[in-house]
Order: sequence, then structure tokens, then C-alpha cells
Amino acid sequence: DEKDVKEITQQWEDDWDDDDVNDDFSKQLRKELEASSQKESN
Amino acid sequence: IETARIFDFEEFPVRDKVTYMYYTGRLEVYNENFNAADQKLSYALAHCDARKEANIRMILRYLIPVKLSIGILPKTSLLERYSLNEYADIVVSLKRGDLRLLRNALQEHEDRFLRSGVYLVLEKLELQVYQRLLKKIYIIQKQKDPSKAHQIKLEVIVKAFKWLEIDMDIDEVECIMSILIYKNLVKGYFAHKSKVAVLSKQDPFPRLNGKPVSS
Repeated sequence: DEKDVKEITQQWEDDWDDDDVNDDFSKQLRKELEASSQKESN
Repeated sequence: IETARIFDFEEFPVRDKVTYMYYTGRLEVYNENFNAADQKLSYALAHCDARKEANIRMILRYLIPVKLSIGILPKTSLLERYSLNEYADIVVSLKRGDLRLLRNALQEHEDRFLRSGVYLVLEKLELQVYQRLLKKIYIIQKQKDPSKAHQIKLEVIVKAFKWLEIDMDIDEVECIMSILIYKNLVKGYFAHKSKVAVLSKQDPFPRLNGKPVSS
């Protein structure tokens, strides 16, 4: 039980705000921004 | 309450101390004293009986919004272990910078969040989600052209919102940018005339690092 409680108190991430933009959401965002900037320059 | 002062907190039985910290921790949540709430609810969590899952879940229902408010995320394993799935999409929305997902998650679990009284706390996570989205736009721009990355056209932000099916015009985006700058979630200024946000070259998106967003 002691172990259980200890585990719960370690279930947090404070180092999640990374610079990674390779996830699907970021890839879609990139596509979207690039598509619209092309439209502008035309 | 007055007489309580002559007792030493440490002399009480552990289960009473846990109950006391849970309720006073909840009060701190309502008063938006997130650091004090974190301290008290974390105490309750660390000292409660690990066999009583329902109690742990009750503590986490308050501790999770508090941790989110100071920029700390619960691991997926914690949410799964204690069936707190109502927080899963909120965590993902913060990681992605996905404002639409945050709004949908709040709407979907509105009743539950209103009942426990954490709705308003969670609503304020929008600022962190804006920050994250801007950071992603910044990094994407930087990969394309590092020399211009610190200048973000407000129009680009409008487009990102539009992609997320959130209707916001340039004035609204300007307003959000000024709030983010004021609250030190973004370092920089904007050129009102040219509608460009100019980010600081040094640490443009300061982390909360366990501190609440400044008010």
C-alpha cells in the first residue's frame, strides 16, 4: 500500500512542453499554414 | 476554528489530518490559491489509505485541475488507473495546443465539472492552450525560415483558429495576444499597425514551472 501511494505521487509530468512538431496535429497545422501562405503569394 | 489553534496539527490521527487537508485544499481551489491547494491536496493524497480508491479519486478530482493550472500534467496511467477519463482530452488539448478539443472536452463533461466546482478552473486553461498553439506556429515558422520566425502575423493565427473551426477575427486575436503578453505567457509586443506580433528572441514562451498564471 505504501508503494501504491508512492506511485500515485509520481504520476505527474512537468516536462511535457517540448519543441516537437512531428505529431499529427502539428503536421496538419503546418499543412494548413503553408497552404494559406501560398495562396497569399499568388 | 479558533480553538483549533492551540492544538498541534501533528498530534491528530492521520485520517483526520487527511480529511482536514482534503477539505481545506478544496477551499483553496475555490479561492484560486493553486499553490496552497496543491500542497494540501498532495498531502491528502500521499497520506490517505491507498486501499480506498474512491477517496483517492475524490482527491484527484481536485488535485488534477490544480496541477493543470500550474502547468503539470497527470500521466495517462494515472487517469486510467482511477477512471478519470474526463481529463484525458484536456491533457491532450494542452499538449497539442488544440483549443477546439479543450472546448469540446469541457462541454462534454460540463455537468460533472460544474458539480465538483472545477469548471471555471478548467476554463482558464484556455490561456495555456493558446500559448501552446502559438509556440507550435512559431516552431513551424522557424523550421521554414529562422530569420522571420519571431514575427507572427495575426492573420496566421486567425487562420490556425479557422482550421480549428473557431471563428475569431483579427481584433479578437490581438486581444488574446495582449492578455498572453500581460500574463507573461508570451514575451514580446505587437506592431498594431502592421498586425504583427513580434516575439522576444529569448524564451518567447515562458513555462509556468509550477506557478499559476499571473493574474
